[in-house]
Amino acid sequence: MNDNYLWDGSGEPDPEIQRLENALGRFRHNRPAPDFRVLAQATLTFPAPRRVRISFFAAFAGLAAAALLVVGVENYENSLRRTSITQPGWNVSTTEGAPRIGAKMIGINGEMASLEAGETLETDDASRATISDNATGEVDVDLDTRLRAVQSPSGTKHLALDRGTIHAQIWAPAGSFVVDTPSAVAVDLGCVYTLHVDDSGNGLLRTSFGWVGFKLDGHESFIPTGAACATHPNSGPGTPYFEDAPANLREALAQFDSASATPAQKSAALGIVLAAARKRDALTLWHLLSRADPSDRSRVYDRLAALVPAPAGVTREGILLLDRTMLDSWWNQLGLGDVRLWRNWERDWPDSQRAAK
Amino acid sequence: MTDWPAREAAPVSDDTRLVEAARGGDRGAYGRLYDRHARMVHGILLARVPPGEVDDLVQDVFLQALPRLGSLRDAARFGAWLAAIARNRANDYYRRSRPTTELTESLPAAQIEDRAASSAEMAQAAAILAAIRELPDAYRETLILRLVEGMTGPEIAARTGLTPGSVRVNLHRGMQQLREKLGALSAKVATP
Repeated sequence: MNDNYLWDGSGEPDPEIQRLENALGRFRHNRPAPDFRVLAQATLTFPAPRRVRISFFAAFAGLAAAALLVVGVENYENSLRRTSITQPGWNVSTTEGAPRIGAKMIGINGEMASLEAGETLETDDASRATISDNATGEVDVDLDTRLRAVQSPSGTKHLALDRGTIHAQIWAPAGSFVVDTPSAVAVDLGCVYTLHVDDSGNGLLRTSFGWVGFKLDGHESFIPTGAACATHPNSGPGTPYFEDAPANLREALAQFDSASATPAQKSAALGIVLAAARKRDALTLWHLLSRADPSDRSRVYDRLAALVPAPAGVTREGILLLDRTMLDSWWNQLGLGDVRLWRNWERDWPDSQRAAK
Repeated sequence: MTDWPAREAAPVSDDTRLVEAARGGDRGAYGRLYDRHARMVHGILLARVPPGEVDDLVQDVFLQALPRLGSLRDAARFGAWLAAIARNRANDYYRRSRPTTELTESLPAAQIEDRAASSAEMAQAAAILAAIRELPDAYRETLILRLVEGMTGPEIAARTGLTPGSVRVNLHRGMQQLREKLGALSAKVATP
């Protein structure tokens, strides 16, 4: 299958997809816009949610006698707030061995189980599972993993990864799927990713597709396709980097992010990162703007500007003061995704792990 | 590493301009919003309700949205907002019904207007559509927007508010599952 042709019709046409397009094209929308000036005048609002059908022919004929009864304001506002995620739990299927939900082993007889808010799914060194929700996506739960379903008043799908590894493939709207770890909250912005937490609470997130936002106490990290980000209980989300970045850059970045590094060690590590950075590593440099010591920030600015010139409206002075609008504008210049996606869905994600302590 | 196409900048700013004009009473501007987004609304509804009902429901969605434009905080997200209204309208259709209508009902040929096709081609198309409608929500909606409505992946992302990454995953995995379904269907037909 030609993936590019399926994606945007480019490249060599895929015969199978063309056959489907030809067959299904008969169902395509082909009605012109009605005259909204006429219809708007004919629209009345009543408290009872009855509906009277208006045919397109009547609309075009301009029959003022036709009327559409609209659901009452309160009901309509509530319906707008509803998302496609209405079921509280996850379907659980066993892929290997006998995982547990609470004290109960599941999948022994091939039965499906469900993981509800407040419950914990645990796999051992011989078991794996997959949890899924039609409107959200699928999460593969690896060996030796402990995963909790969290009650979320906001209606999002909320999990907490205490330890182990999950592989998430999410198709729900951005911001609808959240995973707590001991050191950060991962917010899905439409993607496929792997998240690992070790026994000390240190985490590593790797994005295979799309991008993920990592947030804790005001520190944010955006992790696009092909990038990774570590997290630590003492310092929260680290600095994202592309996994194909030079080894010396990644090693120096780990030193920079280390909670035990002295200011001098951080500054020295920063120098290595800046020297080794390619244009693609602008991802890392952008994040370093807000993480570097103020005395080092100008070095980061200069190197980032050399790799990806700042867009119009972004000034050196503004960036050195960490003006958020300017930082967001420069992020969009990197071509890694529109930061508005994050800002539109940004909120104070409840951290279930720290709240429980 | 795949470089995702950048989102279209022009459509977002066009929506903002048209929404602001429509809010000001310009119904012609609203008609242009209809032209830009009707395919998306049609596809979302086609993924959920009987095909014969879709055209009227498209109009319902736009008529419901019109007086609510003032509640839309970010005019640039008109498409995503409208998509949510369309999905809710589809849910309302079943709640208010009308006795149960099978989502996978085949389309009566008599309801298709101006579609010059043999019965066999129509039946095949209806079977394919039914197979898509049996897929998970996200897959069927995205596939219908791509294969029925002719929208590209970047266009689907820009109009619906989904990320390009999500759309691409939905298209890819949706096609995989559709191929499996259609393969199983062919095997059933071929087996006496």
